[in-house]
Amino acid sequence: MTSMADLTRLHLSRSRRRFLQTSIAGLSGIALSSCGWTLAKVQTDQVRQGASDELHVYTWSNYVDQELIDAFRSQTGIKVISDVFDSNETMLATFQAGKARTYSIIYPSDYKVSQMVKLGYLSELDHSRLDGLQNILPRFQKSVHDSGNRFSVPVSWGTTGLIYNSEKLTEPPTDWNYLWTHKDKLTRRLTLMDDVREVIGAVLRSLGYSYNSTDPQQIKQAYEKLQELKPAITTFTTDAWRDQLLAGDLSIAMGYSADAVNVINQNPKLKYVIPTSGTSLWSDTMVIPKTAPNPDAAYAWLSFMLQPEVAARVTERLFFATPNEAAFNQLPDTLKNNVTLFPPQNLLDKAETVAPLDKSILELYEKYWTKLTSS
Amino acid sequence: MSTKAPSESRPIAPTPQWLQALLLLAPAGVWLALLLVIPTLLIFELSLVPNIKPGDLVNPSGLGNYWRIFQSDVLNVIGRSLLFATGTTLLCLLMGFPVAYWIALLSPKRWRNLLLLAFVLPLWTSSLLRSYAWISILRPTGVLNTLLTSLGLPTLDLLNRSPAVFIGMTYSLLPYMVLILYASLEKLDRRFLEAAADLGATPPQAFWKVTVPQTLPGIAAGSLLVFITGLGDFINPELLGGTSSMTAARLIYNQFLGATQNWGFGSALSMVLILAVSLAIALLIKYGDKNASSL
Repeated sequence: MTSMADLTRLHLSRSRRRFLQTSIAGLSGIALSSCGWTLAKVQTDQVRQGASDELHVYTWSNYVDQELIDAFRSQTGIKVISDVFDSNETMLATFQAGKARTYSIIYPSDYKVSQMVKLGYLSELDHSRLDGLQNILPRFQKSVHDSGNRFSVPVSWGTTGLIYNSEKLTEPPTDWNYLWTHKDKLTRRLTLMDDVREVIGAVLRSLGYSYNSTDPQQIKQAYEKLQELKPAITTFTTDAWRDQLLAGDLSIAMGYSADAVNVINQNPKLKYVIPTSGTSLWSDTMVIPKTAPNPDAAYAWLSFMLQPEVAARVTERLFFATPNEAAFNQLPDTLKNNVTLFPPQNLLDKAETVAPLDKSILELYEKYWTKLTSS
Repeated sequence: MSTKAPSESRPIAPTPQWLQALLLLAPAGVWLALLLVIPTLLIFELSLVPNIKPGDLVNPSGLGNYWRIFQSDVLNVIGRSLLFATGTTLLCLLMGFPVAYWIALLSPKRWRNLLLLAFVLPLWTSSLLRSYAWISILRPTGVLNTLLTSLGLPTLDLLNRSPAVFIGMTYSLLPYMVLILYASLEKLDRRFLEAAADLGATPPQAFWKVTVPQTLPGIAAGSLLVFITGLGDFINPELLGGTSSMTAARLIYNQFLGATQNWGFGSALSMVLILAVSLAIALLIKYGDKNASSL
């Protein structure tokens, strides 16, 4: 019988070997080419074959639970080891720092997919190996970030909106402009997201422009409008509003629907609203990196996750919106009618995806953001 | 030079002097070269590339990123960092000196180590955790305001404003200041104080003319350490500072991991911070040394 100490040693020596391999690969990545070097290059030419019965998944904390891992194992015999990240940026940095060779499945958000495709990190999906891709809602088959699901399979989606305390606000908000018309009553009772594209995008939308405007005049106008709201904003945070809203320190917060579902479960007095002038629609996806040590298991995982029953059960357990139409149809009515998760079509029609923009335009967004947060 | 002394006293030593030096310095030298000099040079190279993000070819082409620093919004950010760091240094000095003075000179000797340990104890927890603790203390319905209300006092709205940043940063950095001041005060020659008293100096006079000048190197070293660490802090401004809390450290973070991913500008900003801090340390070594013979 192997003792605990032996197991630990075995694990240590293996991870150390992996570390050495990665370091050497990393050093060779720095090797200078004729006219300079490439920043954060990930070697994609030599793929190392991993154990065929193991699948390393790199995902957000709320997408994979033990029940899902057990179900996959009983269907395929493959053991899933999942690691979690808390932001797309952390995920990419970890990937570039040498973890590329570990994971066969990664869960980037839509906008990160297009960036990873551009960097040449992702392998093009062989659709003949994926059953059930046609069940994905058309809208998510035509994402601006990966049209035709060439590189990614959407797993979850949501919107950006306002979460408010219905006990503190006599008149419920319906649009972004509510914040401006009620700004005197909201002084230091409001948080916006710590995300330049979402915040400026929302203000652009409230002015009647696109979430992804590239017109410098419109962006400037949005910045000026945002500056007016500043006395009402207590801070910019993407998720720290949850505790403060639950504690009653805040009246209203801008956030993702997925987080809204979470806090509303804890306090039904909190409500989520999608602004009528339009908002952003995001999706999280599953991809297979070119460096995946176990692409076969990765395809098995994608096919498994596309099964309507699997997608429906995991949606019920973990409360996120599935883009899988066949899975949606299997959901209980209470979940189907949950407007936070599945908003009405007329609001969805007005929603835009945060699209990739030119460097020079992004620079402009960033410049106004720095101005806003430093003045 | 004193370096000659060993070879003169032991003329039979078989190892030549240069080899000795090399052997002794090599481990640290290789370490520093690999992990400090080369990375800094790489950052410098990146700072010369406009608009570079991961996956781009590194192709240095000028100082454009450095000019960007002189735009008013960036100067504003740097100014705020300096303000937070300076304010924190002053607060730490004002609060730390009496504490260090008491522990070093007035407290019972057998308690001293325990008292110091108690002061350093908060450093054993993560700085992130300490910032979150301050959030729950300072927020509108938090611990502080609950206490104030129960005493019939008006509540304070501190969270997400500059005062919260000063509170959080001072709390984080005070132990460093106290430790360094303690080391300095402990060495204070009390005979000078007795002599001052003999010659008719009042206690305040003795304090300002004897104690403070003798501990000046400690004050300088402690202040510099707190200032430099404060300049690079972004957890406290980020979590406690609210809407106008952009600091240089956070701006650098945004350039590397934010929406724009302009690693070139981020590197330029990093280089400027590195240079400014190095300059401050060089000045301390040059001018602080005259008084620091005891340290």
